Amino acid sequence: MKLHNIIAFLFIAGLANAQKSEDLIPKDAVTVFSINNFNLLQKISLDDLVKYEFMEEIQQELFDGSTSGKTLKDSGIDFDQKLNVFYGRGESNEVSGFTFGIKNKADLFLVFDDFERIESPYPGTEFYSSYFNNLIIQGNSALLIRVEPTMEKVDEMTDSIWYSRGNKNPWYMDDYMEPINENDEEVFEEEIFEEMDPEKKPDSNYEFPDAEEDPNQKNYYELRDSVQLIMQTQLLKELCDELLIEKINLISFDSRFKEQLTHTSEGIFYLDNSRNVQKAQGLWYFQTMFPSLYNDMKELYTGNVLLGDLLLHDNSVQFKMEARYGEKIGSIYEKMNDAKFDNHVLKYIHQDNSAYFTYNINLRQAYEEAYKVVMPILTDERNAQISANVLTIELLNEFVNKDALFGTYKGSMFGTFNGIKKIKTSKIEFTYDEVTFEYIEKEVEAEEDMPIFTIGFTTERGDIPEKVLNHLSRLTSRFQNMGNYWIYEDAILDAAPLYMINKNGLFIFTNDEDLAVNHANGFGSVALSKKEAKKSKKSGFMYANIDWAQAIDRFPRDFFSAQQNEIIDAMRGKTGIMELTTSKTTKEKTNFDLVYNFGGTYDNPGKYLLDMLNSLYVISK
Amino acid sequence: MKITSFIGLLIIFLSFTSCIEIIDDISIKNDGSGTLKYTVNLSSSKIKINSILALDSLEGKAVPSIEEIEERIISFKKKLEGKPGMSNVSLDYNFTDYIFKLQCDFTNVMALQTALKEVIQEESKEKNIPELEQTWLSWDGTKMVRSIPEITVKKTKDFKQEDIELMKQGNYTSISRFERMVDKFDNTSATLSKNKMAVMIRTNPYALTQNSTILENTIYLSPIKN
Repeated sequence: MKLHNIIAFLFIAGLANAQKSEDLIPKDAVTVFSINNFNLLQKISLDDLVKYEFMEEIQQELFDGSTSGKTLKDSGIDFDQKLNVFYGRGESNEVSGFTFGIKNKADLFLVFDDFERIESPYPGTEFYSSYFNNLIIQGNSALLIRVEPTMEKVDEMTDSIWYSRGNKNPWYMDDYMEPINENDEEVFEEEIFEEMDPEKKPDSNYEFPDAEEDPNQKNYYELRDSVQLIMQTQLLKELCDELLIEKINLISFDSRFKEQLTHTSEGIFYLDNSRNVQKAQGLWYFQTMFPSLYNDMKELYTGNVLLGDLLLHDNSVQFKMEARYGEKIGSIYEKMNDAKFDNHVLKYIHQDNSAYFTYNINLRQAYEEAYKVVMPILTDERNAQISANVLTIELLNEFVNKDALFGTYKGSMFGTFNGIKKIKTSKIEFTYDEVTFEYIEKEVEAEEDMPIFTIGFTTERGDIPEKVLNHLSRLTSRFQNMGNYWIYEDAILDAAPLYMINKNGLFIFTNDEDLAVNHANGFGSVALSKKEAKKSKKSGFMYANIDWAQAIDRFPRDFFSAQQNEIIDAMRGKTGIMELTTSKTTKEKTNFDLVYNFGGTYDNPGKYLLDMLNSLYVISK
Repeated sequence: MKITSFIGLLIIFLSFTSCIEIIDDISIKNDGSGTLKYTVNLSSSKIKINSILALDSLEGKAVPSIEEIEERIISFKKKLEGKPGMSNVSLDYNFTDYIFKLQCDFTNVMALQTALKEVIQEESKEKNIPELEQTWLSWDGTKMVRSIPEITVKKTKDFKQEDIELMKQGNYTSISRFERMVDKFDNTSATLSKNKMAVMIRTNPYALTQNSTILENTIYLSPIKN
């Protein structure tokens, strides 16, 4: 029984709310997705549920042999409890699994038929084990968990033991292969026996000893397996001691998670970014070489957590997310996101666009604040390398013209996707002489499909990119100043032109010829409506809007893999608007609100969610 | 003569290419020697090809780099040069417009066929290509018989519908030239040049891949004047 199947199974089947399955979430969980089953199951029947492809396979996997003919309804899972899926990665180990409620243990083990009961060292707790996974039952709740040491840690430990025993490098001979002489034939025991000196020939019933395999190779791999198993056992014991004896779980460890669990939404999401940062493997060098700096940086990220709620409404799915952070980082975000909305961008968004976003930040303020927050931390570090870097930064801060730099690139931007359009290219055509059928090449105009994108940046120093473009146009004729816009021939995939518009405090890149040639000052009456523009202006630092039906139908299939196209196909025929809004950023938090309002064909938003999940399942098989 | 396998590494393009144009042009002298010109023109799909080349892999298959394609082209040319009966082998290509041109002289059509079959077999990962056992060309001094191997029909079975539609927009032109006038020919789709010394058949790549007999033709020449 594959873990991902179990996850998929429980992801749907265990959408439960009520008791205490959440008490079994270990504190090492960094990411948790907790689903309130009760609410979802009010809207989705299990009979509908089992019609999905992911359910069919799970039924095959779980309800095999003696369980044939049964359904999820017979699985023994308590749908009144929450299902909590979690994952966490530490410096030396990974932990993943989920917790759920149990209604009928006997039925449960008809489903989890690969697990064998083992002796439990914890009173009141039952332990079951399969090859990789462990099932721990306490009361009416269960924890299915997998704890694994990272392979780097296993290798490190194995090598240490291996060499301390005086062994040679186990990989040394790996690349060297004895050439196989095809003339060599296998020599059978009977032949050896026949050819032996008659005087020394043993009894005909003599059994020849088995040939030994390479003891070096075998022993090393065996040792590594043993190390892995021991580490796995130790890690599981440490986790269980903490969870089941000391009663430390994620709820007691993090009050924000505890508070989040009280939400009545269909699902909640928790990601402790600060622990992600602390345990990121890439920081190992940093942690080892500059421990005090590492601690200071760690402190900077303290309190950095993402908390989310998934809400299913009659005609929409809503994902509300709260990004919380510590005061110092918060002060940088607050300054960064304190930017005035640039109204000019709205002129360049066509009312018939398929998708667009606006992004307003103030890089200058963010830089100044980051300088104020980060530099004292760096300056305190007594290290030659860091000191040299600090000096470089301080000198750049003095010498660089920040007015020019942040005036040119202020940070705010917008982007649009306008579907596929025919764009002009050239092609070679062969024309034939009727008399001889000889042919000559001729370059003619052609058209090809191209996704049309526009991306623009707010600038108050349009003269600086203009200088660069003027210089480039002197170097190559591919850059041409066309008055209202610049053109860079064959810039896109060596075939299509890129247009640049430097007007109205914006520097815009686009492959939309119509925008450059006919609307260099904006789309005018066909620009985004005032109502739509207002939404964008009212949002915090970011706003995004996708017309799902248009965007999906206009997606260029050839630019995506077969798997990605499967998701796109699954979404085809569905309509609706996906909208992302953000709140004003404070020193403590920023709120994100993603709402997908869909049109008519779906009577049940939960069913819509399952359609999406099914698509993901099909492609992840 | 269709030698898609010859440009085997271009098959990845063929399956994703909209308007491909192929010109297969063979000139035969009275003594049976001649010149083959084979041109693949992908210039109307530059954007698509460039976007594919920008990827590492597509649908689970590794996308070759331009250098790798060039390497294979040069390898093909070198192998062909070394085959008996082949001379003046040239292979022009440009990766701006994606036009590939093969030209070679041969002493007789059997030498040409054998050389191509051997090089294709050497370049192919498949050990046995039964289609290569077919005879595509024969010449007895008075008539020429042409056909194409069925190799491409199998390849196109996996094509997506939209790629098939796009292939239908392409062109395949087959030209046979001679030193003397053509008397008659069997294929009713073929046309005769005004000077009566060349026969042309035009179709689209998709039709060709589905019906390898489209280009089958027996061309009878007028007697040699003494």
